[in-house]
Amino acid sequence: MPDLTRNGMQHPEFESLLSDAIDGVLSGPRLAAFQAHARTCSVCGPLLAEVEAGRNWLKGLTEVEPPASLVHNILASTTSVDTQRQQAGIAAAQFPLWERAQAWVSDALQPLWATVRQPRFAMSFGMAFFSLSVALSMLGVKPSDLRQISLRPAAIRHTYYNTQARVVRYYENIRFVYEVESRMRQLKRDVAPAEPAPAKTKEHKNDTTEQPEQKQERNYSQPDSHFVLACAPLGPSVVHSLNQDLPVVSVTTYRRFV
Amino acid sequence: MLVRRCVSGDAAAWEEIVRTYSRRIYNICYRFAGSADDAEDLTQEVFIKMYRTLSSYDSSKGAFVTWVTTITRNLLVDHFRKTKQDRLTDSMDAPVSAQEDAQPLSEQIQDHSAPPDSRVQSREVGETVHAALAKLSPELREAVILRDLQDFDYREIASVLKVPEGTVKSRINRGRAELARLLQRTYRQVM
Repeated sequence: MPDLTRNGMQHPEFESLLSDAIDGVLSGPRLAAFQAHARTCSVCGPLLAEVEAGRNWLKGLTEVEPPASLVHNILASTTSVDTQRQQAGIAAAQFPLWERAQAWVSDALQPLWATVRQPRFAMSFGMAFFSLSVALSMLGVKPSDLRQISLRPAAIRHTYYNTQARVVRYYENIRFVYEVESRMRQLKRDVAPAEPAPAKTKEHKNDTTEQPEQKQERNYSQPDSHFVLACAPLGPSVVHSLNQDLPVVSVTTYRRFV
Repeated sequence: MLVRRCVSGDAAAWEEIVRTYSRRIYNICYRFAGSADDAEDLTQEVFIKMYRTLSSYDSSKGAFVTWVTTITRNLLVDHFRKTKQDRLTDSMDAPVSAQEDAQPLSEQIQDHSAPPDSRVQSREVGETVHAALAKLSPELREAVILRDLQDFDYREIASVLKVPEGTVKSRINRGRAELARLLQRTYRQVM
């Protein structure tokens, strides 16, 4: 907004006096200058009218009646706050430290419990349980076996040595079997006469099992051994020029489609 | 005195505070939030917060009503942020239409068949003004509510809003002018 000066007053000064003028606290020469500026200035005059109109609209608004139950509800809600506070104080004074700690933990876990109770979480948990049970059943783990597992240190040590012995035994057995097998193979080789080397099979011309099929032109609409005349008649101009320079040669090609 | 009695545990003093200020706070909330249900909930929240923090009130820093209004205003600002009403608000800087430019605004306002004082008597006009008030930006709205509806002086408003008095005056004038424009636009659409 340009700082135009009219009647010895600028726009910023006019705006700063606007509230005082609206409130009726402006008087004397300043009021006269304010009014004169408002009459002559095309920016400040409408602004004054708008502000006055807006104030009149707002002053016309009547106070709304609050609901009859408001005071009662406020007192009830603040009393409950008070009661909670008092109860907390009583609890702090009466209950031992362990119970207070337990109460504090349960309060702290309250949001976690609220999350766990959500259907989304229950579905995810269900899916995870299902996947785990499927995986265990595929691996051959039975819940009845798990139930019999003893978690005592002595039992765990016993299970460990048992498992180790079983693995060693299995390895020894497998080694024995492989040794017997290899001996048997050796014996067979010593007893049986030497076999001639397998003759190299003659490659068939038409055997295309190991080679990519060669691209061939085939006319599937024509029967075999059908001869086709592949020459085209020459045009008159070509014939004429050929008659002059070259001997007349008629080419006829017979092609057999295979 | 009342506050001191209340802090010392006098239930009757607290009830007196609730009865004295509930109407004022409800009206501020209603004019700012726009709906009666929100106003009721917000008023209760204000009193719960006030009850919890009553011991922190320092009479040397300002009047009790200013303290109460500051709590109310802070809660309203929080509520506004939660509900994100700023999309519904109009800005003072919004360009005016070509029709508005054609005629001076002062003349447009004076075009009404009856002066505003007589119009606001009716309930419909009151609702229209209330709806227009809800369209103001929160800074302008709170300033005009405190000044024109709650009759706070500029110093008190500056204390509540934590801005200088000059800013308060500027916001009030801008809020009034914006409201007049909105209402003038509304009535032109109706007519």
